Amino acid sequence: MADVTFGWSEQHLMVRQALRQFMEKELKPIVWDLEDGKVLPYEFARKLANTFGLAELVRGMWARRKEKKAAGDREAAAGEIAAFRDPAMSALLVIEMCRYSPGAALAFGASLGLCGQTILSKGTDDQIERFAIPVLTAEKVGCWGLTEPEAGSDAFSMRTTARLDGDYYILNGSKTLITNAPYADTFVVYARMKSPTPDNAAREAIHAFILERGMPGLSTGQPFKKMGMHASPTGEIFLSDVRVPRANLLGGKEKDPSRDQAVGVLMGERTAMPSMCLGIVERLLDECVRYSKERKQFGRPIAEFQLVQQKIANLFVTREIIEMYVHKMIWMQQNGIKSMKEASAAKLYCGRATVEAGLDAVQVFGGAGYIRDAGVEMMVRDAKLFTIGGGTDEIQIGWIARELLKD
Amino acid sequence: MKILVAVKRVPDTTVKLKLKPDGTGVVTDGVNFEVNPFDVIAVEEALRLKEKAGGGEVIVATIGSKDATQQLRHGLAMGADRGILVVNDDDNAIDADVVARTLKAVVAKEQPTLVLVGKQSPDGESNQVPQMLAEHLGWPQATFASKVVVAADKASAEVTREADGGLETLSVRLPAVISADLRLNEPRYASLPGIMKAKAKKIDEFTFESLGVAKAPKVTAVGFFAPPERKAGAVVASVEELVNKLKNEAKVLG
Ligand SMILES: Cc1cc2nc3c(=O)[nH]c(=O)nc-3n(C[C@H](O)[C@H](O)[C@H](O)COP(=O)(O)OP(=O)(O)OC[C@H]3O[C@@H](n4cnc5c(N)ncnc54)[C@H](O)[C@@H]3O)c2cc1C
Repeated sequence: MADVTFGWSEQHLMVRQALRQFMEKELKPIVWDLEDGKVLPYEFARKLANTFGLAELVRGMWARRKEKKAAGDREAAAGEIAAFRDPAMSALLVIEMCRYSPGAALAFGASLGLCGQTILSKGTDDQIERFAIPVLTAEKVGCWGLTEPEAGSDAFSMRTTARLDGDYYILNGSKTLITNAPYADTFVVYARMKSPTPDNAAREAIHAFILERGMPGLSTGQPFKKMGMHASPTGEIFLSDVRVPRANLLGGKEKDPSRDQAVGVLMGERTAMPSMCLGIVERLLDECVRYSKERKQFGRPIAEFQLVQQKIANLFVTREIIEMYVHKMIWMQQNGIKSMKEASAAKLYCGRATVEAGLDAVQVFGGAGYIRDAGVEMMVRDAKLFTIGGGTDEIQIGWIARELLKD
Repeated sequence: MKILVAVKRVPDTTVKLKLKPDGTGVVTDGVNFEVNPFDVIAVEEALRLKEKAGGGEVIVATIGSKDATQQLRHGLAMGADRGILVVNDDDNAIDADVVARTLKAVVAKEQPTLVLVGKQSPDGESNQVPQMLAEHLGWPQATFASKVVVAADKASAEVTREADGGLETLSVRLPAVISADLRLNEPRYASLPGIMKAKAKKIDEFTFESLGVAKAPKVTAVGFFAPPERKAGAVVASVEELVNKLKNEAKVLG
C-alpha cells in the first residue's frame, strides 16, 4: 500500500488490509484457472460475500428496512438503503479485486453493481426481495442487458420489444456483449414498449424488465472468446416470445420509463471505472519496482537505467492521478452529485492511462512481460475494455463536449 | 467465560526489513504493520471458546505505541469485545519480562479464566512471554497448543501440544496461560460488518505507572546486524574433486 494514505479513514484502511489478505488467499491462487475458464468467478463471489460479511450487511439492511416500513416510518426505511450504499467501501472492494483479477471484479460488479443495485434502486419492495437480495448476497448471478447487435453506442435505438398481453409482457429481440449472460440467473433487460394503443406515447418508451433463467423463450449463448477479461464470461441473450409477468416490470409503473435510469447506471459504471484502474496500476507499479530491482542486465539491475526509471516514475504519476479521480468519484457519490461530464472524464482519462501504464509495465519486464506468468500482459488486455465498455472513449468525448458546449 | 488475549503489533511478515545504519533496530518508516499471526490464531481460539461456552467476554490487550490501536481494532473486528492498550513508545526499552509483568497487572484487573497468546512473535522470536507470565501469575501453562478443549465445568482444559517427536496432551487447571501454535485453527477474516462494529468498541488505555509496573528491563538489545552475505558457490568438475574439497577445504569429511 502507498506510503501516503490519502483520503482513506482508519476504518477504510482496515477494510483494505482485510480485503488484501482475503484476495491474496482466495483470489490470487485461482487467477489462471479463472483466466482459462476452468473455474467461474461466481464461487469466489459467493465466498467473498459470505466470509467478508457483505451478504450479512445486505440481509441486515433489508430486515431493518422492512421493520421500519412495517412501523410506518417510510423515511427511515428509505434511509436504510441509502446508508447501505457506501461508495468508499465499494471502491475498496473493486480496487483490491482488480489487483489480482480485473475480470473477477467485472463479473462481480456486473452482477452486484449493475443488476443488483439497479433492482435495489428502482425495484418495488417485492422485486427487491425476490430478485435484488439474492443477487446482492451473491447467491444468484445477475446480468444487465442494454447492448444489442444493432445498438451499441447508440444503445437507445434498441430493437428488443415488449408488448402487453393480459397479465404478461411478451418480449422479443436479442442482447449481446452482456457480462455474465451465459451463467446468469437473473436478467435486467431493456426493451421498447409496443402498445396495442399507439396513441399512448409512454408505451413507446424504453422499459426495464426482470427476467429469470428458465422462462420459456429465454436462452443464452456460449461465452465469447475475448481479447481480455477472460475471467468474466460475456455473451448473448435471445428472447423469443418470452412471457414476463407484469410484476416483473422494473419499478412496476408503465408511465415511468427506464431510459434515464439506464443512463444513471451507465454513469455509475463510469464512476466505478477509476477504482478498477487504480487496482491494476498499483499492482503494475509494485511488480515493476520489484522486477526492475531483481532483473540484472549489463551487470546491474535494470532499475539503474534511466529509461526504465522513467517508466516506473510515470506509472507512479498515473497511479496518483487515478487515485485522485477515485476520491473525486467517491465524493460525488457521497454528496449525491450526478454529473456526466465528470464521470465521463474520469473514465476516459483512467481507462486510457491504465492501458498505457500496462504497456509500459510489459516493456519494463521485456520478454518476460509478454509471457503470461509475469501477470502483466493480462492487465493490459483487461484494461483495454475500459476504453470500450460502459461507452467507448469516443462516446465519452461526445458527452463531455456536449455538456461543455450546451447553452 | 472471560478470556484475555495478548496481541502484538509487528512488521508485515512478508516484507523484507532493513536495518537502521546505526544498528539500533529496524527501519519502520513505510513498513506495514499487522497483528502477530500467532496472536491472530489466539484471538480466533478465544472467540471459538467463547462461542462454545455460549457466552463470556474476549478482551484483547497490547503493549505498544498509540499506533498499536490498529492491531487492537483488528482483534475487535474479528469479534473480540473490548481492548486494552498499555502505552509504550519505545519497543527496545522493554523486554519479555516487562511485558509479562505488565500482562500480570492486566490479569489482576480483569481476572480472566484463561489467557491466550501466540507462542512467539515473528520480530523478536524469543518465545518467552507466555512462560514468564504463567510463572509470574503462578498459573499452569500449556505452550504450543494445537488443540484446546475446555471442560464443561470450566475448571480445567485439555491441551494438545506439538512437541518435537509428536503430540502431547496435557490437562491444566484453570485459570491458565495457553500459547497458540500454527495449527491450532484457521483464523477468520475480519469482516466488513465486524470492522464497522469495531469502531464503537471500547479501548481502555493504561500506562506502566497506572498499572504499577516498573519499566525495568533485565535484557536490553545492544545492537542489530544483518547476517553476512552468503558467498557464491563453486562448480566442481568431478566427484573426486568434490570429495577432495570436502576433505581438505571444508574439512567436513575425514
Ligand atoms: C467485455 C465486454 C463486456 C460488456 N458488458 C456489457 C454489459 O454487461 N451490458 C451491456 O449492456 N453492454 C455490455 N458491453 C457492451 C458495451 O457497452 C459496448 O461494446 C459499447 O457500448 C460499444 O458499443 P459497440 O460495441 O456496439 O460499438 P459501436 O457502437 O459499434 O462502435 C464502433 C466504433 O464506432 C465509434 N462510434 C460509434 N458511435 C460514434 C459516434 N457517435 N461518434 C464517434 N464515434 C462513434 C465507437 O467509439 C467505436 O470506436 C460489454 C462489452 C464488452 C466488450
